[in-house]
Amino acid sequence: MLPKGTEKSKELIEAYSFISPLLLFILLFIFVPVVGTIVTSWFKATTFLSEKFIFFENYRLLFKDVNFWQSAQFTFLFILVSVPIELFLGILFALVLNCTIPLRGLLRVCVLIPWAIPAAISARIWELIYNYNYGLLNFLFMKLGIIPKPINWLGTSLGAFFSLIIADVWKTTSFVAIILLAGLQVIPEELYAQAQVDRADFLQRFYRVTLPLLKPAIIVVLLFRTIDALRVFDLIYVITSGGPGGTTTSLSLYAYKYFVGGDFGYGSALSVILFLIAFFMSIVYVKLAGFSKEIA
Amino acid sequence: MKEERKKIILILLISIFMLSFCLLPVIYMVIISLSKNPDFLSAEKTLRFTLKNYFDVLSVRSLHFTDYLKNSIAVSTISAALSVFIAALAAYSITRLNLPGKVILLFFVLVVSMFPQISLVGWLFKLMAELGWINTYPALILPYIGWILPLSLWILVSYFSQLPKELDKQALIDGCSRWQILFKVLFPVALPGLFSTFLLAFIFAFNEFMFALMLTADHKARTIPVGIALFQGLHGEIPWGNIMSAATIATLPVIILTIVFQKRIVQGLTRGAVKG
Repeated sequence: MLPKGTEKSKELIEAYSFISPLLLFILLFIFVPVVGTIVTSWFKATTFLSEKFIFFENYRLLFKDVNFWQSAQFTFLFILVSVPIELFLGILFALVLNCTIPLRGLLRVCVLIPWAIPAAISARIWELIYNYNYGLLNFLFMKLGIIPKPINWLGTSLGAFFSLIIADVWKTTSFVAIILLAGLQVIPEELYAQAQVDRADFLQRFYRVTLPLLKPAIIVVLLFRTIDALRVFDLIYVITSGGPGGTTTSLSLYAYKYFVGGDFGYGSALSVILFLIAFFMSIVYVKLAGFSKEIA
Repeated sequence: MKEERKKIILILLISIFMLSFCLLPVIYMVIISLSKNPDFLSAEKTLRFTLKNYFDVLSVRSLHFTDYLKNSIAVSTISAALSVFIAALAAYSITRLNLPGKVILLFFVLVVSMFPQISLVGWLFKLMAELGWINTYPALILPYIGWILPLSLWILVSYFSQLPKELDKQALIDGCSRWQILFKVLFPVALPGLFSTFLLAFIFAFNEFMFALMLTADHKARTIPVGIALFQGLHGEIPWGNIMSAATIATLPVIILTIVFQKRIVQGLTRGAVKG
């Protein structure tokens, strides 16, 4: 029989050895690249030329860059418009899916489908829907008499903005609905029964019982979606490529264009800005989600 | 009674809206994929059906669609399997062994999962170029594993912590080593959880876009989402019929997986998010 101390340290070594592959991968392929990006952002680093340390020069240029401010503005507007719509529709869908209705299982599957389709592929579907000459949207709107002649949805900055919003809402409302549905399912039936006795109507029940109890799930989903919308890339890359006139260029897309152009220093500086915003949001998220209570 | 009736009508209306909202674009995709003339919605044209788009994307080698599909399936399967295995080892350590600082660790992993991909991809590109790995499977698989690990870990930690502790305690008393416990006791019991985690990890890898866009160059490693996003016609006009049939073929497996394993996927998603 080994002494207790040895047993303890043996378990410690085992505990570390089981977790080390995970740590290795996360460090090597996520953590190190982020640090690498931060360091690169201090250099004038372009392909074909030797790197030169310029410290915060990229950031100084960035704050004077009109296009940077334009893409920052677009990204925040995108979050401010898309996330509330997704939340509203998500709550609506979740409430319906939580009712005992016929074919509920089928409905749930259908709601999941947009989530399962790769964003780049759904973006191509939407690109065709918005097509000026033979897209579904112009066809439907003209058939319904909403518009007299076809509209070039992606040709104006406002049209392109809302086209992207709708495509994003389509893709992500499923996720919101599924998470909120899980939140709804843990609300005890008795609370509704009590409200029924108190003669509360449908809306009152929603405000008094459902909404307060759903609040934790709503906060989680809200922050999660906000961080996700902040990094939006796939949809925009495919549908508008940032156009028209760069008005729908998200921060991710703007940084990407510099990487592709071979300017790694400036692209990295842009990425670092985005990283910092996401980082602080995720700290808030983790705090609010009451994360520490959960662990085994 | 009157309120009850109003409620039923409301639910019905929302359900109809929900169904058409979610399915219309998908149905549109399938119809276009089967059409001889993708522009049939413009004035005075009728839809003519054909299977030629499907034959084209599956048989014309120069479109490289089958290559993209093969790359996607290989890369996603390998990344998902490895990340689930690695996450399972870690989840075992976190839930069963006295790992110090596990709260901090889970916190760290959660924050890492929120990093924007763009803040990794530039450096990853330089790394992979240095190694000469651009346009190869490892250039995608290695970052994918890192990318999917946080999600896999969170789902599995939550799953493992629900399994009774007596299970492995007994095995430990019987003199099994940790590895034996893991493979002979815990993994068989946790198989459904491991499987649903694998499914989610697979879908995440299959749908990934930015890494694949940046780290691949052509059909040797390019994945389906990137292939379809960059799919251009040979003569300028966008070949919508081909694109939509390729999109249908690519989304079909994911949709089938989603339908068949709906419950597991929902469980995994909520474990990963709400419990977070």
